[in-house]
Amino acid sequence: MSATAADAMMAGPKRNAKVADALSRSRQRTNRIIKALCVTATGIGLVFLFAILATLLWLGFAGLGLSVFTESTKPPGSHGGLLNAIIGSLIQTAIGTAIGTPIGIMVGTYLSEYAVGTKLGDAVRFVSDVLLSAPSILIGLFVYQVLVNPFDGFSGIAGGIALAVIVIPIVVRTTEDMLRLIPVALREAAVALGAPKWKSIVMVCYPAARDGIATGVLLAVARIAGETAPLLFTSLGNLNWSLNLGRPMASLPVTIYQYAGSAFDDWVQLAWVGALLITFGVLALNILARFVLRPRA
Amino acid sequence: MSSTMNDSENKPNIGAMEARSGAILSESRISIRNLDFFYGTNKALKGINAEFPNRQVTGMIGPSGCGKSTLLRVLNRMYDLYPGQRATGEVLMDGENIIAPGIDLNQLRSRIGMVFQKPTPFPMSIYDNIAFGVKLHEQLSKAEMDERVEWSLTRAALWGEVKDRLGASAMGLSGGQQQRLCIARTIAVRPEVILFDEPTSALDPISTLKIEELIDELKRDFTIVIVTHNMQQAARCADQVAFFYLGELVEVGTATQMFTAPAQRRTQEYITGRFG
Repeated sequence: MSATAADAMMAGPKRNAKVADALSRSRQRTNRIIKALCVTATGIGLVFLFAILATLLWLGFAGLGLSVFTESTKPPGSHGGLLNAIIGSLIQTAIGTAIGTPIGIMVGTYLSEYAVGTKLGDAVRFVSDVLLSAPSILIGLFVYQVLVNPFDGFSGIAGGIALAVIVIPIVVRTTEDMLRLIPVALREAAVALGAPKWKSIVMVCYPAARDGIATGVLLAVARIAGETAPLLFTSLGNLNWSLNLGRPMASLPVTIYQYAGSAFDDWVQLAWVGALLITFGVLALNILARFVLRPRA
Repeated sequence: MSSTMNDSENKPNIGAMEARSGAILSESRISIRNLDFFYGTNKALKGINAEFPNRQVTGMIGPSGCGKSTLLRVLNRMYDLYPGQRATGEVLMDGENIIAPGIDLNQLRSRIGMVFQKPTPFPMSIYDNIAFGVKLHEQLSKAEMDERVEWSLTRAALWGEVKDRLGASAMGLSGGQQQRLCIARTIAVRPEVILFDEPTSALDPISTLKIEELIDELKRDFTIVIVTHNMQQAARCADQVAFFYLGELVEVGTATQMFTAPAQRRTQEYITGRFG
């Protein structure tokens, strides 16, 4: 084929119908192969996804009942619920979000508005990105060393702070990205009216980036709601009802971790229910982020 | 000369210009002396000397990259936002050099407002768009603010179209309405000078006409500087026209003089469409 192609080239700009047909067939063959590979890979992914979801729904709904929401975890065989774990998860997630969001937004603002082109800004951005992909168990260990070991031991507040450390880099990234999408003209328009920089950021840029930043925060909440490793070393988990932030506190992921591997059928059952609850919670947050707070173009 | 003008597609309307009352230029509001401007090491304006007459419209024309927008951004110190940009020389307003260090920029920008090429409504209500700038410089009661909002929207020929939906988002207005909102927002601060940076280049002809009528009306109270690529617009709006080329102010004069009998060959070539 290459010889004929070369001849065709030598002869000048004449079209060789045979070569063109062959090339066309070869292209279509390649196209079919690539398409088949992509479809197969997608299929494999979907099979696993649906297998996980089906198992979760099947086993989770089987154990779902009112007592899950009204009773705390109890010794095996006495049909307890997950109330302490649900409330513990809500409290620690709320603490993590409440601490992590403002810090993340301010760091993101610093990177986007004040530190453009500076070495410090580049360094902060790099460190934040590293933190973004740091294994969460490392963050758990860090908070253990700083807040658990030197003080009275495991506590709900330490769990919340470990989650905040995970929230910060996510919010930093989205805040910086969203603020950078704002047209220069909009900032200049605020400045041209005589607005100081902070006012143009707070009153013009934040409202313009609001939906994007809120989406980032929601995704961060969804991420920490399912985190287990940072809580294992910090809030530890608690089989009893406790709202004391200074004491060990239960949470859904840690309860799942403890129950799923236990030898008791009703505990394993509750672990599946807990997994179902987290999955639906995270799903709801993702839907909210995607459809309600779609970033403006 | 006149035959050349007729050949050009971009010919200014001489009749309209001669009918203008403001053919004689008033006293200077802003005086520029030996102004040089640098983007880093690149000299973008070279030894500019010019006067902007009080309560009249100065049109700045010239090909892209000639420095006219740069000069506009010197007047309200917009270049201060960007490190590496600097100006030397003097820009005098009330005897004060406004490009000197130590000038209160926020106060300066309340005296010299700016309207941009693309409409830049803030992501808030129509009312708040106006109130935003006013609140930066004045403390008004609710009633006074209502009055100011109505006044500025009326001056910007937008009141009738938005008076029933002041609380609605400004993002929902049409492009032409948004640009008039930006003008209203600028005059609400009650500046002395308004800078227009190609204010109609993103608008349709009807909206353009409205903005041009507005500029004509606003010059009773404000000194206006407008950058435009549209020669007819310069002829329609401006009392004084300044022609820039490659960072230099080639020629400045009354609109009539510039479009009928320019002193410089380059001016004549540009306005008749030979280049640019």
